[in-house]
Amino acid sequence: MALPALLRTARAVLSLGPAEQLRPEKAFARGGLAVSAWDLSKNFGKLKAVDGIELQIREGEFFGLLGPNGSGKTTTIHMLTTLARPTHGGATVAGCDVRAQPVSVRRQIGLVFQESALDRNLTVEENLRFAGALYKMPAGLARARIDELLQLFNLDAKRRTPAGELSGGMRRAVDVARGVLHRPRVLFLDEPTLGLDPVNRRALWQFIARLRREERVTVLVTTHYLEEAAACDQVAFLNAGRIIGRGAPEHLIKQFGAYVLEVESPDPDGITAHFSARLGVGLKTDASVSFRIAEEHFSIAGLEAELDSRVRAMHLRRPDLNDVYLWLIHGGFGGRER
Amino acid sequence: MWRPLWAIIERELKWTVRQRSRLVSAMVRPLLWLLTVGVGFEAMLRETGAANYRAFLVPGLLAMVLLFGAMLASLSMVYDRESGVLRMLIMAPFAHSWIVVARWISATLVGLVQAAMLVVLLGVMGYLNGGISAPLLAVGLLATSMTCASVGILIAVSTRALDNFAVVMNFVIFPVFFLSGALYPVRHLPPWLRLVASVNPFSYGVDLLKHATIRGPAPFFGADFGIGADLLGLAAFTAVAVLVAAIRFSQDSVLEPLARWLSNGRGN
Repeated sequence: MALPALLRTARAVLSLGPAEQLRPEKAFARGGLAVSAWDLSKNFGKLKAVDGIELQIREGEFFGLLGPNGSGKTTTIHMLTTLARPTHGGATVAGCDVRAQPVSVRRQIGLVFQESALDRNLTVEENLRFAGALYKMPAGLARARIDELLQLFNLDAKRRTPAGELSGGMRRAVDVARGVLHRPRVLFLDEPTLGLDPVNRRALWQFIARLRREERVTVLVTTHYLEEAAACDQVAFLNAGRIIGRGAPEHLIKQFGAYVLEVESPDPDGITAHFSARLGVGLKTDASVSFRIAEEHFSIAGLEAELDSRVRAMHLRRPDLNDVYLWLIHGGFGGRER
Repeated sequence: MWRPLWAIIERELKWTVRQRSRLVSAMVRPLLWLLTVGVGFEAMLRETGAANYRAFLVPGLLAMVLLFGAMLASLSMVYDRESGVLRMLIMAPFAHSWIVVARWISATLVGLVQAAMLVVLLGVMGYLNGGISAPLLAVGLLATSMTCASVGILIAVSTRALDNFAVVMNFVIFPVFFLSGALYPVRHLPPWLRLVASVNPFSYGVDLLKHATIRGPAPFFGADFGIGADLLGLAAFTAVAVLVAAIRFSQDSVLEPLARWLSNGRGN
């Protein structure tokens, strides 16, 4: 029993994956991998919610697990945070096996749920003190840490406010503070910006950035607002329980191309036929087609005239992670063809 | 483990004390029984020459407060929709079965707080005069509260259908209460009901409290079982219930749906 598990762990730690995903010298510079998952899978009856994913997240890394609702993000987080048992495969988090050492894993991680984990009836400070007690933090240490975090998140004035009276953005910030109170080595954030308005969303990302800067905590975040993940060091795209692409956001975007050309038209098929020889196969949505443009010096002058009445609008813009994801879902962009 | 355990219990007690209306209604319920059913039955029974029915009802009502207080407190555990604290608890660095144990202890204490208040009220109203064995009363309340809390905890981890208050009232609390000897002596029941009452752990709690409050020879309204049998019945049931609940709560089939529900119920 112990030997195969040991071998699996060894295999997972040693299998570093393709060179662009993981630079070994950096991976081991600060103690190696914070999260390592191999063949991680979860079935619900016949549904394969998570289907054999591999993850290697370096210590200190900011990692984004991206995908639409239902792609398996939360189930993956649950397996990594010991709230669900993998159907097969496994993972180590902060050096501990999620199956065999769940309590040790939980001691070293923080998880911020989509929904608030605060007691609405208790004040911000009471909530954080309660959380500190759950982690067996000595009272003095917890108090100092709470002061520090309330400062970091600009929440000092809300110290004695019941959690139920906080705005959505503030409550989420307290939730994040709660998640890092015990100085976890890995912080899991499951859709941290869900339900927040743009201002609070930006504020939350700034808090997370500050936290990473000051505490050097490894962060694994899931989000379906893909553009928000541009700040991540590494991202992996999930679709139907499988990882369909991964890499550094800027690298993925660069690999994707220089521009996205969106052509709005009542006849998307005609547009595709017209351009595919020159621009490659387009990606059709309801009433538009987008093309990947590789050349940095591309110009749309002339294209519009060429197509005259068949074009309603034409739009050239820089790609973002949404484009990368859409193209990956539709077969990738390694070559021109699908 | 003491620090987290105490933090959970402290929070629960703080909450109980802050909820004044719940405490008041917990007191009103038994007093209403005492002053309506108690007085009514006593008037009827006096015609037949039977003894003081209200004095008979007192231990049953003390047990009733524990049934409502402790059992509902532990029942609300798993599907406590108002508070996100369960999210904190399932991520805390101890075995998940401790959550069940902590909830069981705090529910026991919630029941005891309410029972103690009722004891004071009943004392002031003169229902606990003479013939009371204080140590036995304390032991009886503690043991009964532990048992009621354990029933609640067992139900909470066993089924999701019972998170509705009306369902719990009809299918758990009322049958358990009516078939316990709280309202009438078990020994005068027809055999099949007597059998049901004797497998109902709550019966032993009520009986133990009868031993504590109804003293002296009282052939008609006296206790039905011996003190030893009562304690043994309560202890055995409670130990099994807490153990089963703790084991069940650590199982994937209970924990994983709960974790998914806590993460927004979509299960993805």
